[in-house]
Parts: sequence; structure tokens; C-alpha cells
Amino acid sequence: MTPTPKTCALCSKFRAIIKRPKTGQQICKECFFFVFETEVHNTITEAKLFSRGDRVAIGASGGKDSTVLAHVMKALNERYGYGLDLYLLSIDEGITGYRDDSLETVKRNQQQYSMPLKILSYDELYGWTMDAIVSQIGKKNNCTFCGVFRRQALDRGAAMLKVDHIVTGHNADDIAETVLMNIMRGDIARLGRCTLICTEGEDTIKRSKPFKYAYEKEIVMYAYFKRLDYFSTECIYSPDAYRGHARTFLKDLESARPSAIIDIIHSGEAFEVKEEVRKGQKAQQTCRKCGYMSSNDLCKACTLLEGLEKGLAEARIIDVGGRTGSHEMPPEEPREVTKLDPS
Amino acid sequence: MPRKSKFDKSKTCIKCKTARGNIVIRHAVYCKTCFTPLVVTKYKRCLDPHINAAPDGQRRSTLKASGNLLIGLSGGLGSTVLLDITSRCYFSTKSSTEDGRKGGKAHPKNDRVWKQASVCFVDTSRAFSEGVTKDRSEDIRAMVEQHKEFEFIVLRLEDAFDISWWKQLGGYVPSSDIRANLANEDLVITEAHLQSSDPVASLRSYLSSLPTATAVRSSINTLARLLLLHTARSMQCSHLLLGTSLTSLSISLINSIAQGGGFNVLEESFEEWTPQIARSAQDASSDSPHLAGGVCTVRVVRPLRDIGMKECAAWAWWNGLQVVGKDRTFDPDGKQTIGGLTKDFIVGLERDYPSTVSTIARTCAKLAPKNEPDGQCIVCERPAQRGIQDWKSRISIRSLEPPSPHPPHVASDDPPPISLTPHLCYACHTTLISRSSRSTVQNGAEASLAPLPVWTRSALVESDAADVMGTKRLVDHEDMRNAIGEFLLHD
Ligand SMILES: [Zn+2]
Ligand SMILES: [Zn+2]
Ligand SMILES: [Zn+2]
Ligand SMILES: [Zn+2]
Repeated sequence: MTPTPKTCALCSKFRAIIKRPKTGQQICKECFFFVFETEVHNTITEAKLFSRGDRVAIGASGGKDSTVLAHVMKALNERYGYGLDLYLLSIDEGITGYRDDSLETVKRNQQQYSMPLKILSYDELYGWTMDAIVSQIGKKNNCTFCGVFRRQALDRGAAMLKVDHIVTGHNADDIAETVLMNIMRGDIARLGRCTLICTEGEDTIKRSKPFKYAYEKEIVMYAYFKRLDYFSTECIYSPDAYRGHARTFLKDLESARPSAIIDIIHSGEAFEVKEEVRKGQKAQQTCRKCGYMSSNDLCKACTLLEGLEKGLAEARIIDVGGRTGSHEMPPEEPREVTKLDPS
Repeated sequence: MPRKSKFDKSKTCIKCKTARGNIVIRHAVYCKTCFTPLVVTKYKRCLDPHINAAPDGQRRSTLKASGNLLIGLSGGLGSTVLLDITSRCYFSTKSSTEDGRKGGKAHPKNDRVWKQASVCFVDTSRAFSEGVTKDRSEDIRAMVEQHKEFEFIVLRLEDAFDISWWKQLGGYVPSSDIRANLANEDLVITEAHLQSSDPVASLRSYLSSLPTATAVRSSINTLARLLLLHTARSMQCSHLLLGTSLTSLSISLINSIAQGGGFNVLEESFEEWTPQIARSAQDASSDSPHLAGGVCTVRVVRPLRDIGMKECAAWAWWNGLQVVGKDRTFDPDGKQTIGGLTKDFIVGLERDYPSTVSTIARTCAKLAPKNEPDGQCIVCERPAQRGIQDWKSRISIRSLEPPSPHPPHVASDDPPPISLTPHLCYACHTTLISRSSRSTVQNGAEASLAPLPVWTRSALVESDAADVMGTKRLVDHEDMRNAIGEFLLHD
């Protein structure tokens, strides 16, 4: 028995070639591109993310999320006349053999999309490459360093490029996973923020996530059909076991019911931290060493650096909640030090 | 976080500091004697502040509920322990001679907190075809009858589709059969002449038209919860107690969040429920038959919510409680549903990170819904948000065009279809429409016409209920016919 070819559930014209991960609908390739891009456009316009003339940096790692983001941002900017000046901003952590290839991807994107590219290295920012950090403290817990340094590095790079806005490739899976993580770890401050599409620091550089509602599987699908190449940016250093559990759980939920990812984000958007709890939270201050915002005397990056300078292997510090995990999803606001509830 | 050893160094009870410990509760060792008051204290700390209708600020003067008490009993460990502790703390008589039972000590001696107390079991054995599950109601009855102070009531899940049950409770049911088309997002309502209304058949038809195993499991929970709530109301109960332990609370919180129920995160641990029909009757001019007696709001309290599963098990074991067990047939391996997966996940996590369950519960207790609710969902009768449909269609495009308006000559004849969707909360809407990649897409529209629970049907026709969500009122066809009957020429 040969199954009759299905027609696309959206246009009813062309042959369906994919089952859409987000909705389960069987649709054609062109309709897939259209709905994927239009949903990102809806996300951007609903949140009023940009104004005409904004200088926007795309945090580009050469991985799938940011590669597809660069492509889609350029397409939408032209199609809908956003009037944005787009830049690529890349961070070189200084991990031998890990970043080299993906930086090539970014450089190729620079030419394809004719966007200016800025590459900043940990070495020039902090005087330490990740390789040097690892040789100092060993292979454990250095995801803490990566997460903290990367975020600050992006902010500093954005300041150098004089941009108003950084967009990152965080996708729906990352956000749903972060909602679950923050609940399980009791990180109430981050839980309140992690579903926000746009956050603005004191430095007035906005950061936002246009792929907030885009499924990871669909990002891969988009790259595949558009023939965009990218590199796996899974960190070669130790990942966070706890986040790993959450990720596996989320994948299981998704296979039980694909809408689970979007449903978790909806949940995260439907609640907020009670006002009386919010009032009790620590106020922000600035780091005495570098002036970056921080909830302590020293910001997290400076604390880590100070530890390194002293040669303290245990510099991984303070918070158990700081095992920050994968590079594709640096945790929200990792510059803050959170206290874990005493158990 | 680094795993800690199971005990602290000492194996002596940290409370009395003399007896040898018998149980480890989150790294602290307790002896059997100290364990009992510890559990009772946690129980009362959770329940007592909710007993009096208005909190009286200072120390508990007198505990006096405004209505009766209903305990929901599933036969599982939690509710079995709940029944036992409740019986000891609030109903044990002074002449109780059983040793070690301290109940009643801190209570008004003569006056009971609740005038009447009942235990209610919801039997789910007929949800699927005959013979799959055993009806355990007699086993449970035998257990409850050891407590003479409680009346025992059996509800059946199919009562949710039973018009005579609903009428007994004072509910109104339209004379036509109202069904929802689960084949599309709008959940269009159709009316037909009332066919044979066998509740069991309707229940099975409802469950089998749901798109996922997750939806079946969640719907069974929702139906059972509403049966208990409506029963509580009809019995003038001010309180419904459920045996949710700390472990099961964490599981239900994550389960609810994973199904889009974030707006109702508070209701998972404490809920003040006012039935839809009471709300709509509040402004209506009096002739409402639904509100016999005064109690309209039922408080749902989970007094075991600070007590872990392990402590419940120890309590049951040391007190020789017989646990009948819950019905698990609708999700035998737990791998197919979000509820089952969540349970496995949390229980597994608790093994390695023992503070996880309490962290989840404490975190969620710090949350509140972001916006004011806009009416009540007519399936789960919890506060609902507005605009969920717009939100969904913006970020998951399922159709290239907005639904085209009908040409005028059709529209005038045929009023736009009435949709269930605007009356639902996000989670219930998701339950009814969200498919899994495994689910078989139903083709025939007939196949997915699902009967609806009696309270949902009632809410759809009750005018004010429909107005709560600011939508069209569904007028019962029989009512229409009565109103215009004299102008109709044929017949
Ligand atoms: Zn198409
Ligand atoms: Zn600093
Ligand atoms: Zn002791
Ligand atoms: Zn609902």
C-alpha cells in the first residue's frame, strides 16, 4: 500500500514534505519558511523590540541558533523594512580547536550578509583564555567562567560597536528549560526574568531573544533546508549535570506532547514573583573594580578573575546556582550572585 | 549540589537528643516518638489558618468552620494518612483510650470544628472498558467505616456526565445535547436532540475523543476534582481536604506548568473555589434554585503539603494504616503522559537532590498570576486569562488566513458558530486540542464530537456565565422554541 502524498495543510497546494515539530501539521517547504519567519516577525512586532535606525548586534557563535538568527534577521529587516543596522558580534573564548571552525562560519556570514563583524577575545578582555583558565583550575566547573565572561564580553563588545541592542539566538527550548531549572533551583530572581523577551541593563544596551518561541528542531530544519552551515558549539568542557537532567526531561515532555515547550513558556509568562517577595530582593549595585552591574561588591567576573589571579583552584565560588551550563544558553543574568536556599 | 551523606554524624534523635533515631527527614534524624508531633505540627500549621472564615489575626482563639468538611480519598498513601490525622486531631473523643493518640488536646473540648464530616471517593473504574480496573469502592468503604465520625460517599467519574446527578445538586441542564468539535482549535459547539444519555458511554466517548494520553490523564483529574467540589458545595462544606503530600504537590506543580497552567500555580496548593453557577446567580434576581443554604465558596486545603512521601509512608507503617492503593490503569507505565513523566522525573531527582521537592514548592509559593483573571474556565472552573487564542495563533501559525467571513446571505440565516474556546483556560484548551506526533488524527468530524461535562454544558447555556467571558450567549433550542412557539406556523 503506497501512502498517497499529502498536500500541505497550510497552502493546500504543494506536497507536504515535513511534519512541523511545533504543531504536528504536515506542510510544504515554502510554507515552513513562511510560518517560521512570520512567527519571529510576530514576536518582534508584538514586543516592539526595535525602532527604525537602531544599531543591532547579533551575538554570533557560529552555532545553529545564531547562524539562523543572522539569516532571519537580515531577511525580515529587508522584507518588513525594519530599518536596522545589523552587526555580527563574536566572542573568542580561546579554546583551541573549538572556536576556530565556528569563527570561520561567522566570517563567512559576514561576507554573505555583508554585515560588519567584531570579534572579541577573552584574552584581550580579561587577560585569560579559557585554555589558560582550564589549565589553572582543571576541567571542572569552568562553565561558570564561560557563562559569566561571555555575557560581559558581549556587552562590552556591543559598547565598542556602539550598538543599542544585542539579539541572541536563545530558542524556545532554552527558555522552557530555564523556567524549569529556575523553579527546581529556587532561583526566584531569574525565574521572574527568564521569559522576558527583552532585558535592559544599566548600561542601557538591550538584549533580546527573537527566537523565544522558535523550536530548536525547527531551527535545525530551517538551516537544513536553507543549506546554512554551522558548527556544533557544545562545550568540550564539563557540562552541568543538573541542567542535563532538565534538558532530558524537557525532551521527554516534548515527545509526549510537542506543545509542551510553548506551554511551559506560556506558564512562565502567566506568573510573576509576588510583590512582597520582590521587595525583599537585593538591590543592584555596581562592581567596585570594573563598574559593571552586580548584586555584590565585586561582580561575578571580577570575583572569578580575582580567584584566578590568586591561583585559587576553588575560585568557582559562592553560589551553587552558578553552574551555568551550556554555551548555547548562557543563563539569564549570570553576572549576579544568587544565594541558594539553604536546604 | 554535592550529595550529602544520608544522615548527619549522629544517629540520635535531634529533638529529644536521647532516643535512637528511626527516620531521616532531609538530613535530620528523629525517633519514632518525636516523629508523631512533628508531623501533626506540620499538618496543623497548614490547615488551621484556613479554618475560620476570616483570619482572626492573633493566636487561634477558637477554630470554627463556617460549614461542613469533606475529605477526598483516592485510596492512595497521602489521602489515607490525611484521613487518619484528621480523625485524630479534630474528631477523636475524649474517651479515646488508644495509647499514643494525642488528638483533641489542643481543641475545644465540646464543640467540633466542623459540624459534619464526610469522606468521598471517586471511582474511576468505568472510565475504560469493563474489567480493566476493579471497582475499589467497597475496600475503601471498609477502611473508612473504621472512623465512625465520617459519612462515606461514593461518586463515579461518569457522574460528570449524568444529568440526574447534576439535577440532584440543583444544577440546570439544557434539554438538548451539547457537544464540542475537537477537530479544530475553535472547538465549535453543536447541538443535537438529546439522545440516550448513558453517563458511562458519554464519559468514554469524551475520553476517547481527547488527542493525547496526557489529556486523558489530566481530564480524569479535572473531572474528579470538580465532582468533589460540586459535592462539597451541595453538602454545605466550607472545606475540602486533599491528601497531597509535599512530593505530590511538587509533581503537580511541575505537571501543571508543563501543561500551560502557570496562571493557576497558586490553586495547585490552595484554592478558594466559587462555582460558576453561584457567580452567575449573585447578580441574578433571586429565583435561582442553585443556592440552597449559604455556603458558596469551598476552600481546598492540602494539609500534608509540607510532609514528604517518605514521612507519609512512615506514618502509615507505624500506625498500621491499610493503604488500598490508587487506580493507575490509565497510565500504566507513566511514559506516555506529561503527568507520568513528571512524576518519574521528580521522584528520581529527589533521590539525588533531596531538597528538590521542597525547593519547587517554596519557589512556586512565591509566585502569583501576572494579571487579573478574566472569568472562570468552564471546564476546570479555575480563574482564566483572556486572549489565549490570539497568543497561540501569533506564535504557532496554523492557518494562512484569518477565517473568512461568511457571505451575508449565509450569515443571516446561520449565526456564526458558538465556540467553546473563549470560555476555556489555556491549559484546558491545550488539553482539548494539542496533539502528539503519535496521536492519530481523527478525520470524520463525527468522531471528534465530544460530549461535555454537565457543569460545562450548564455554564454554556446560563446567560450570565457566558457573559462573564464577554461572549455570545448560547440559547437553548428548546427555550427558543418555547419563546417563539406561537409564531411558528407549521408543526
Ligand atoms: Zn504549503
Ligand atoms: Zn567587575
Ligand atoms: Zn526523639
Ligand atoms: Zn480550565
